[in-house]
Amino acid sequence: MSGSLGTATTVRPPGSDSDLGERSAAQQRTKTPYEWPARAFSLPAVLLVALLLYLPFVWTTYISFTDYNGLGSPVWVGLSNYRDMVSDSVFLTAVGNTLLWVVGSITLPVALGLLIAVLTYGRRFGTLIRLPFLIPYAVSGVAVGVIWGFVLQTQGALGQVLEFLNLPGASTRWLLEGPLNTFIMIGAASWQIVGVNALLFVIGLQSIPREPVEAARLDGATGWTMFRCIVWPQMRALTTVVIGLSIVASLKTFDIVWIMTQGGPGRVSETLALTMYRETFVLSDYGQGAAIAVFLSVVTFAASIIYLRRQLSGRATS
Amino acid sequence: MKMRHSVAAVAAASAMLLAACGGSSDDTAGGSVDSLKFYNDKAAWKPQFEEVSKVSQDEIGLALEPVGYSEANQYAAFIRSSFRTKEKPDLFTWHTGKELEDLVRQGLVAETTSLWDKAIADGDVPEDLREYFTVDGKQYCVPLQAGYWVMFYNKRIFDQEGITPPSTWAQLEAIAERLKGAGVTPFHQTNVLFTFSWFQTLLTGSDPELYEALSTGEAKYTDPGVVSVMDKWRAMLDKGYFSDPGSKTDPQVMLKNGDVAMINMGTWFNGNLKSVGMEIDKDYGMFVIPNVDPSLATRPMVVEAGPVCTAADATHREEAERYSAWWFTPPAQTAWANARGELSFNPRAEVSDETLASLSDEINKGDYRLMNRYFEAAPVPVLTAALDGFGAFVTKPGDPMPVLKEVQAAADAYWAEQG
Amino acid sequence: MSRVIRPGFLTLLGLIWLAPVYLLVANASKPAELYDPARVWAPLPDFALVDNMRDAWQKAQLGDSIPSSLLYSTIAPLTAVVLGAAIGFAIVALRLRHGFLWFVFTFGSTIFPLQMILMPLFIGYANTGLYDTRTGMYLVYTAISVPFAAFLMRNFFTGVSYSVFEAAVIDGASTWRIFWRIYLPLAKSALSAIFILQATFIWNDLLLGLTLSQSDDVRPIMPALTSLQSTYGGSALPTVLAGGLLVSLPTVALFLATQRLFARGLTLGQS
Repeated sequence: MSGSLGTATTVRPPGSDSDLGERSAAQQRTKTPYEWPARAFSLPAVLLVALLLYLPFVWTTYISFTDYNGLGSPVWVGLSNYRDMVSDSVFLTAVGNTLLWVVGSITLPVALGLLIAVLTYGRRFGTLIRLPFLIPYAVSGVAVGVIWGFVLQTQGALGQVLEFLNLPGASTRWLLEGPLNTFIMIGAASWQIVGVNALLFVIGLQSIPREPVEAARLDGATGWTMFRCIVWPQMRALTTVVIGLSIVASLKTFDIVWIMTQGGPGRVSETLALTMYRETFVLSDYGQGAAIAVFLSVVTFAASIIYLRRQLSGRATS
Repeated sequence: MKMRHSVAAVAAASAMLLAACGGSSDDTAGGSVDSLKFYNDKAAWKPQFEEVSKVSQDEIGLALEPVGYSEANQYAAFIRSSFRTKEKPDLFTWHTGKELEDLVRQGLVAETTSLWDKAIADGDVPEDLREYFTVDGKQYCVPLQAGYWVMFYNKRIFDQEGITPPSTWAQLEAIAERLKGAGVTPFHQTNVLFTFSWFQTLLTGSDPELYEALSTGEAKYTDPGVVSVMDKWRAMLDKGYFSDPGSKTDPQVMLKNGDVAMINMGTWFNGNLKSVGMEIDKDYGMFVIPNVDPSLATRPMVVEAGPVCTAADATHREEAERYSAWWFTPPAQTAWANARGELSFNPRAEVSDETLASLSDEINKGDYRLMNRYFEAAPVPVLTAALDGFGAFVTKPGDPMPVLKEVQAAADAYWAEQG
Repeated sequence: MSRVIRPGFLTLLGLIWLAPVYLLVANASKPAELYDPARVWAPLPDFALVDNMRDAWQKAQLGDSIPSSLLYSTIAPLTAVVLGAAIGFAIVALRLRHGFLWFVFTFGSTIFPLQMILMPLFIGYANTGLYDTRTGMYLVYTAISVPFAAFLMRNFFTGVSYSVFEAAVIDGASTWRIFWRIYLPLAKSALSAIFILQATFIWNDLLLGLTLSQSDDVRPIMPALTSLQSTYGGSALPTVLAGGLLVSLPTVALFLATQRLFARGLTLGQS
């Protein structure tokens, strides 16, 4: 990725993001004249997430060190919930499935989203062509769950199509065999999110300055070369957003699995978020559920920081 | 009583003035009211709750304001948490068994022993139901409804094949074989939530004592009796008696379309069938599932009794208790059963539908042994393990032992903790 | 050659994407008693979409909750867009000290699994009087939308040349004016994208609405809608689908109406 960035440097206008990255890194040590306005601009957002998202999570973290069934008072048990979590035989399955979701979500939907954005960007009827991909996101969860249920059930809509086309797999039990059911659910989730990714990529494309593109075109750059050397490096900021969001969302995958298989049959399609939900809401073992939530959050945090640091502030070293 | 009533009305009126802004603030006043918030995990029943509310308003001057949740787990967590806040629920649906015990042990639920004594004396509720609402010798909550688990069948298919409801297990098996031969799937089976229904049917019909011993931890899931039930279940699965367990089609639609000929389910299922336009006696019928073991002395009947409870520190506890007492009575139960189109636990309720009324009579005649539904009978951690295990078992029928061992492991862990 | 491949590929992909939508509409239009799971692809001559929608509307009493849902899904994402842009502006243009840390702090709040903050939020809300109030719902929906807005806006603003800021300072504009008059208009498409995505998210939210409210005039629409789907006597499938379709209409309309904003742009490399 950083290789292609190098080739683009010659046509990058001053003040583009990597340039800024270096400058702000240098200036971070000294106070700018705008420190107080900067604080005032940041305060509302910071305050809101601190009170409504961090505070509840602090409580959850505390609960993870206790034995608590939602009634009475939590009893301090130290690390025992974490020990139980690791020794649960399904824990590894859940970690494996969650990893599948992460890999699946940063490949298929991101690649397809990018492809759709690039192929439709600036074209006549471009927005019209993107619309079919956006509608799934707008459809309410209840309808989505029902639809995929009858598409994917054995001999459901998908099976009927395969049978009609005389293709193999008409009687495949899509949701009943692991890990097939995880793969197929990743597909279903992509259906909903591809359009959003495409939309974000389009915003990235829109923010590309005209000059380098024109300059490159005069140099005879077309198609793939143009994309690789000019467009892609300029879209880094939005690519970071899309991949960053995909990582976070996929680690927390819950809804679609809960609707389609409830983690079954026999817990084979369970993700970490489902294990957490099961412990907390089904078994009322709040401490155990909270421990998984904390573990999940730490992993998510680590993954996104590693990714974001590379993409956002480690720029100067590239 | 009259006097107190009018005082209550005045207090209610002033409380309402204070709480003109709505929302939750009205609960803090603690005064008397003329309507009660009724939290429930049966959001789909809101219209029926409202129908009953009209009757109660006339009869005892109290209305119901249903607040529905459709996801049972979310609902349970909400109720549990609410005890920590000032939003303690006046009336809320709950589960019997361990779930109820949890609340009682923390002193969170109002006792209803005197209400039960009176209702039983009046003949408003069968004595058998009392034990499900009993913790340490005292009663808590009142039954919202009693659903009896029977077999629903598609009448068109039965008529076509010239089949009449069976009175013995052998007949039922013969029917299944015959339907299978005619290309009809005999029974419904699912791999989510109600995975237990056939386990429950087969075990209660073979060895009701073992079924009860399992739920108290006195028997093990790996005992020969349980294994043989699982083997029987597997044999039926292997013969192709059951529908695709992964089907996302609603059971009522499957019965209607003839995808399955029979479904074992609680009597509340009548409402589901009604929603897809099926008429009782015309399109479908019900029969009591015969015992698997013909030598059994009694006929077990699985019942699910969902309780309605009141928080011990509820803001309107007095009104809530008045409501609970009324709930047992024939006017309440007549209104409720007819609104829902199903049976009532109260034998004196006047169920307008004849088929339902005669089923109700039959069950109330007393030669049935009521058994708690597996969903309530098994402690939650055991139930959860069992539901997952059965779900995997019906999806890929095989040696039942690994499944039973896993459930027993959960049971061992649970009972060890209970000491 | 790619003149054929490109439209061909997009058409095929688009059709695949629309197939489930077709299933949704086709089956939501079938009379409840004629729905057959073995024939989901075949449309029926009887068109019962409007009847089914009316049925869903009445059974789930959707009308009660529409005003609240409309309120939440317009005001909360609007606030979040502005707050997110503000912190992005502070970090990128005003160069807030430790800006990256504050950015990580804000974005970091998205990592918490929503299911796990519900119960503490409920307890906190119940004890502060925010439970079952529109203010409370507005605040939580805003908070949950802020991280995404902050992330996207911060990254978007890094693409804006710093000379824009410097030039405005030389002209004597205040930071507020630079933010409001220069940076926000520059980011119109990014802001609208955040708005429509977050508005849709809030409109479709079930968990927060279910947990933090109970009154008919505070509760948003999804908890009402899900009452159609219940083991214990929900509605027929076409009714559920019609209900789902009905409540999706506002969000679909929102996407349709805002697409113009994303149409702008130069063509990249003719092939």
